[in-house]
Amino acid sequence: MTGERSPERLPEQAREALRQIVARASVAARLAPPAGEAVLRSIVEATVALFGAEAASLALHDPASDRLVFRVAAGSQGEGVVGLAIGPDQGVAGYVFTTGQPLALSDVERDARFGRTAAEQTGFVPRSLVAVPLLDDEGTIGVLEVLDKRDGAGFDLRDVELASVFARQATVAIRASRLERDVRTLVHDTLSRLAAGDASDGAGSADSATIAAIVADVTRELDSDDDPLWRLADEIARLRTADPDELDLVRELLAVLAGRAERTASARSRRRGR
Amino acid sequence: MSSPDAALPAWGAPFGESRRDDLRRSAPLGRLDRDWAFGDASGRGVTVAIVDSGVEGEHPAVAGSLRRSVRVELSGGDAIVVADEAVDVVGHGTACASIVHNLAPAAELISVRVLGPDNRGKGAAFAAGLEWAIDEGVDVINLSLSSRSEAMFAVFHDLADRAYFGGSLLVCAANNVPVASYPSLFSAVVSVAAHDVRDPATWFYNPNPPVEFGAFGLDVDVAWKDGGRIVATGNSFAAPHIAGYAARIRAAHPAATPFEIKTILAATANVPQA
Repeated sequence: MTGERSPERLPEQAREALRQIVARASVAARLAPPAGEAVLRSIVEATVALFGAEAASLALHDPASDRLVFRVAAGSQGEGVVGLAIGPDQGVAGYVFTTGQPLALSDVERDARFGRTAAEQTGFVPRSLVAVPLLDDEGTIGVLEVLDKRDGAGFDLRDVELASVFARQATVAIRASRLERDVRTLVHDTLSRLAAGDASDGAGSADSATIAAIVADVTRELDSDDDPLWRLADEIARLRTADPDELDLVRELLAVLAGRAERTASARSRRRGR
Repeated sequence: MSSPDAALPAWGAPFGESRRDDLRRSAPLGRLDRDWAFGDASGRGVTVAIVDSGVEGEHPAVAGSLRRSVRVELSGGDAIVVADEAVDVVGHGTACASIVHNLAPAAELISVRVLGPDNRGKGAAFAAGLEWAIDEGVDVINLSLSSRSEAMFAVFHDLADRAYFGGSLLVCAANNVPVASYPSLFSAVVSVAAHDVRDPATWFYNPNPPVEFGAFGLDVDVAWKDGGRIVATGNSFAAPHIAGYAARIRAAHPAATPFEIKTILAATANVPQA
């Protein structure tokens, strides 16, 4: 009976297996670079190359602070904007974010105030720009901006459409990386899908409260951020930028410490065994 | 999907030069012409609402045609419409207003601000602003923004029908990318994408919905925030051209229903050259 797969009847072995998967996925998520940064960077780099643009940048909405944060940029004039956080309704990026409507502007230096604001924020005043929304199933999650074609031409409708294609790539990448990182969501979605499949088979299905309870059970460990092992995982994640020699050193240190921990543990168990 | 444009799908694609042959109507309404349709081309006695980021009343490009400004306030689950100062938080609403005013200089403009720090352009605010304009009996309502929220589908569908039966013509910019957006894709509205002809007096009727009209939206010289001007591209700027022409038609033929105005717009559209 398919009903036996229903989460409410999830046997303890299955829960334990889920806990293991959750633990491993969480370590992987902690060690991975934040939100597919490399993919996003490659998308803005491709955007710059294809448009022959001076710069391209990607701003993502951070729900916690309710700001649009410029996460990655490329091009000779792009770097100044990285890290900039603006209100989600500020300026051109804000308009595109709140309305979901793309926009291309030329001759922006004619508008003195526009130029001054841009210069103060990024150190670069574009002549023209195109800004398109990153549209996901649930709404707009950010904005892709392309600034100044090097040949001096403005952006036309085709450019708006092309930028929208790049924006879609970025959205897919972000969505994938968010799913990967949010282990809780992943487990929840998988269980919900299983339950929905069971329901369509006509067998009893788990309600959302049951699924939530199981997710809470198997992901309980994730909440204990003070677990020294989690802190260690975070420290190791910081070594992403270390060079091979430094990594060798860390590995040797860890081997020495792990050896000492094992010797202490076995000495302890020998004492207890007496 | 074998045309070269299929690689870059966009609602504006049917209006591109390579596809324009498809825009020939099977039922030519040849006896209507623009002189008859527009009368004195002033838009006198007609009200046009700009549902957007506000309209800067002092901007020379709107030259005193702004009669009223309101904004939507969200408090808890309620959206209420309150009087607003004649301000624009982005510049976009003023851009749309300047296009309408240029084409229908005697039409009275009403700004319905649904964007800004106080409401973030949420679907509910947008719907409340639109409902207010319909209830006020505004003749032509320009919507250069749309909602992607599936949850708002029924609300906007209902509003589009109420406007249609009540005599208010909704002119909506299609999103630049072919995603579902409301109410721009409903049959009761006039949906508009940008064509690639640099001429404000050129518009096309597309007999292959959902997007029925193509209008000037490429490198449009528009008013912007703080008394400025800017050159802008996007479907957002195509819609107000059709809104301006609709205002002329309504002024010349006050009894014309939204269906009739749409028909007149189709009948007087440019016929693509063979």
